[in-house]
Amino acid sequence: MSALLDHLPEFWQGLIVTLQLTAASFAGAAVMGLVIAAMRVSPVPVLRGIGTAYVETLQNLPLLVLLVLAVFGLPEIGLQAGLQVTATVVIALYEGAYIAEALRSGVNAVSSGQGEAARALGLNFTQSLRHVVLPQALRTVIQPIGNIFIALTMNTSLAAAVGVVELTAAANRVNLLEAQPIPIFVGAGVAYAVIAACAGFVTGRLERRLAVVR
Amino acid sequence: MSNVLFDEPGPRARRRIRIATIAGAVVVLGLVALAVRQFADNGQLTADRWQPYATWPMWRYLLGGLWSTLLAAVVSAALSMAAGLALALGRLSRRSWVRMPSAAYVETVRTIPVLVLVYVVLFALPRYGLDLPLFWKLVVPLTVSNASLFAEVFRAGILSIERGQSEAGLAVGLTHGQTMRLIVLPQAARRVLPSIVSQSVGLLKDTSLGFVVSYAELLYSGKVLANYNGLLIQTYIVVALVYLVVNASLSKLARTLEARQPRRRTARV
Amino acid sequence: MVSIRRVAAVAAVSMVGLSAACSGTDSTSSAVPGQPKDNSVIAQAPVAAAADILPGSTMEKIKQRGELIVGGSLDAPLLSQQNPTTGEIEGFDADMGKALAKYIIGQPKVKIVNAASETREALLSNGTVDVVFQTYTITPERAEQVAFAGPYYSSGLTIAVKKGTTGIAKPEDLNGKTVIAGANTPAIPAIKQLAPQATIVTFGSDPECVQALKQDRGVAYVQDETLLVADAQKDPSIQVVGSPFTTDPYGIGLKHGDDQFKKFVNDWLTKIQGQGVWQQIWKGSLGTVVQGEAPTPPQIGSVPGS
Repeated sequence: MSALLDHLPEFWQGLIVTLQLTAASFAGAAVMGLVIAAMRVSPVPVLRGIGTAYVETLQNLPLLVLLVLAVFGLPEIGLQAGLQVTATVVIALYEGAYIAEALRSGVNAVSSGQGEAARALGLNFTQSLRHVVLPQALRTVIQPIGNIFIALTMNTSLAAAVGVVELTAAANRVNLLEAQPIPIFVGAGVAYAVIAACAGFVTGRLERRLAVVR
Repeated sequence: MSNVLFDEPGPRARRRIRIATIAGAVVVLGLVALAVRQFADNGQLTADRWQPYATWPMWRYLLGGLWSTLLAAVVSAALSMAAGLALALGRLSRRSWVRMPSAAYVETVRTIPVLVLVYVVLFALPRYGLDLPLFWKLVVPLTVSNASLFAEVFRAGILSIERGQSEAGLAVGLTHGQTMRLIVLPQAARRVLPSIVSQSVGLLKDTSLGFVVSYAELLYSGKVLANYNGLLIQTYIVVALVYLVVNASLSKLARTLEARQPRRRTARV
Repeated sequence: MVSIRRVAAVAAVSMVGLSAACSGTDSTSSAVPGQPKDNSVIAQAPVAAAADILPGSTMEKIKQRGELIVGGSLDAPLLSQQNPTTGEIEGFDADMGKALAKYIIGQPKVKIVNAASETREALLSNGTVDVVFQTYTITPERAEQVAFAGPYYSSGLTIAVKKGTTGIAKPEDLNGKTVIAGANTPAIPAIKQLAPQATIVTFGSDPECVQALKQDRGVAYVQDETLLVADAQKDPSIQVVGSPFTTDPYGIGLKHGDDQFKKFVNDWLTKIQGQGVWQQIWKGSLGTVVQGEAPTPPQIGSVPGS
C-alpha cells in the first residue's frame, strides 16, 4: 500500500492527465460524431461516401496503430503538435466514428413519419434534423454513448504508448521504481472504475430524465 | 432511397446535390493532395523507403505476424464467448448467488482498461510464481476483458427474444434450462451474430497490445521490422493497411449477416 | 442450469486443448534452423571436451535436448535482432548464444524465447530458459534471484542530439530539458539520478525514439552507446555527444544456485576470449558500427553480483 501512498503526487498528476484526455477527446468526439453522422444521412452522395469511408477506416484500425502513426507520421506532413494534444485529437477522431454510428442508428430508429411530418411543415434538411429528428434520436442513444464514453476513458490509457504520462503510464513508472505491481495497478484500475461508474450514473440519470414513453 | 430525413430529390435539389458533390470532392482531393505533397517533400515517398515492402520476405514476415494476430484473436474470442455466455446466463439466473457475482464481474471488468489488465499479467502475476507464456500474456487479459463485453451482447440477445417464446416452452413442459437451451438460445444466437462479429473486430484490434507484451503479432512484427530497416513510418502505414483489409472484410461479413436477418428491430448492443 | 455446466465443461476442455496446441506452435520463439553456412565465426568456436559435460549437470541436460534455450530479444539491433528476410536472430548477444550452444552441443542450435525484461528472473528460476543473453546488467539485487556468469561485455549510456544542438555534453546538462528514453530501459533511473529536473518522454522502440528526437519531441535521447552510434551512422542528422556516463556490465543470466553451470560458462568465456572468438563475434556485430579494434573484455567476476 505504501507504494501507492508514497507516490500520490505522481498518481494524481497522471489522473489529471487522464481526465483532461477523457474530457477533451470526448468533447471532440461528440462534435466529430455529429458531423460525420450528419454526412452519413445527408442526401449528397459524396458526403455520404466520405462519412462511410471515415467510419470504416477508423473503426477498423487499432487505436494504438493510429496513435503511433499520428505521433510520428503527422509531423512529416507538417502537422506537429504536442504529444498530449496529438493523442487527444486521435482519440477524438477514433471515438467520433463510434459516436457517429450510434447517432446514425438513433436517427434511423426515428420513424420516417416524423421526418415526413417535418417536411410537410416546410422544414428543410437542417431544420428537420435539428428540431425534429436529432432530439428524438439523442434520447435513444444515451445508453450507447455512455458506453462509448466508458470505452473512451479506457482507451486513453493507450496514450501511454506514445509518451503521454497519464494514469497508466504513471502507474507503470511507479512500478518500475517500487516493484509492487499489485497495489499499484489495482489502484489505477480502481481509479478508472470510479470514472466509469460516474459516467454510468450520469447516463442513468439522463436516460430517466429524457426517456420518452411510447 | 427514401429516408427519414429526405424524399426523392427533385430537379432543383438534384442540381444542388451535384454542386455539393463537386465541391466536397474538390475539398477532399485538395486536402489529400496537399498531405501527399508535404509527405513527399519530407522525403517519405522516395522509392528506396518503400522498396522493402515490394519484396516477398518482408511480407512473409508481416503475414507471419498477421497469423499470430489471428491466432490470438480466435483463441481469445472462443474463450471469451464461452465465458461471456456463462456470465450472461448467470446474470439472468433466478438464483441471486449466481446472478450477483456475474453482474459484479461484468460491471467491474468492463470499466478497467485492457492495458491495465495486461500490466497485471505482465508484471504482477510473475511475482506470485505465475509466469505465463507470451501468447497467454496477451490472450488472458483480452479474454478477461472481452468476456464481460460478450456477456452483455448475449444478455441483450436473450432479452430481445419475446417472452411468449419461453412461456410457450415452459407451457409444453420443458424445464427452465431446456427452454433456454432449445428455444431461446438458438434464436438469440442468430440475432446477436452481427454484434458478435463486430465485437470480434474490436478484439482483433485489441490484440495489437501484443506490442506491449512483445508477443509477435502484427503490430509487434511491424516494430521488429522498423527496428531492422529503420523505416518507422512506412512500416506502420503498411501494418495499418493490413489491419484495415482484414477488419474491413470482417465488418463486411457482419453487415452481410445483418442484412440476412429478418427485418425487425434488433436490440442495439 | 444444465447449459451453464455444459458451457463450463466445454470451456475447460477447449482451454486444455488449446494450451496443448499452442505450446507446440509457440510463435513467439523461433528455432534457428541448423548451422548457417556463412557464419564463419561460429564455425571457429570451440566445442567442450566430453569430460567437461559432467553427468547429471545442466550442460548434460542441454546436450541431450540438443538445443540451448536462450532468453533474448527479437528487436534489439546489433545485439539480438531478428532478420525478417532469413528469420535468423543476429547480433552480439545472439551470436554469443550460438557459440555457447555449439560449445555444449557441438552445433549452434539455439531457440530464442522472447523475454520481456521484467520477467527474466522468473523465466530462469522456473526453468523455461537455460540462459539469458539480453543486455542483462549485473546488479547485487538481481544476483539474489539469479546467478550471473561473466560479465561478458561492458557498455554504458550516452547522449544523442540533433546535429547542431549546443549546450549538451554531459548528463547534468539535461536538467530542465525534455529527454527521450526507451520505455523500461535503464536510461530512465539514470536520468532521474543525474538530471533530476529533466522531463522524460518514453517511446517503445529505438526507431520511435530516433524519430521523436528528429521531430524535436525532446532535445536529447539517452540510450546505450552502441545503439546510438549505429543510429547516428544510419541517420546523419543526429550525433552522439560525449562519452558513456554509466558502466553497465552485462552478465549471462543463469539459474540461481547452479554453481556448476556458472563455472562451466565462465570457463567457456575465458576460452573464447583467449582464442579470439569473442573478439570475432564483436567485430561481426557491434564492431560493424564502432571504429577500431575489439575492446578488452571485462574481467570475469569483477563486478559485485557476478
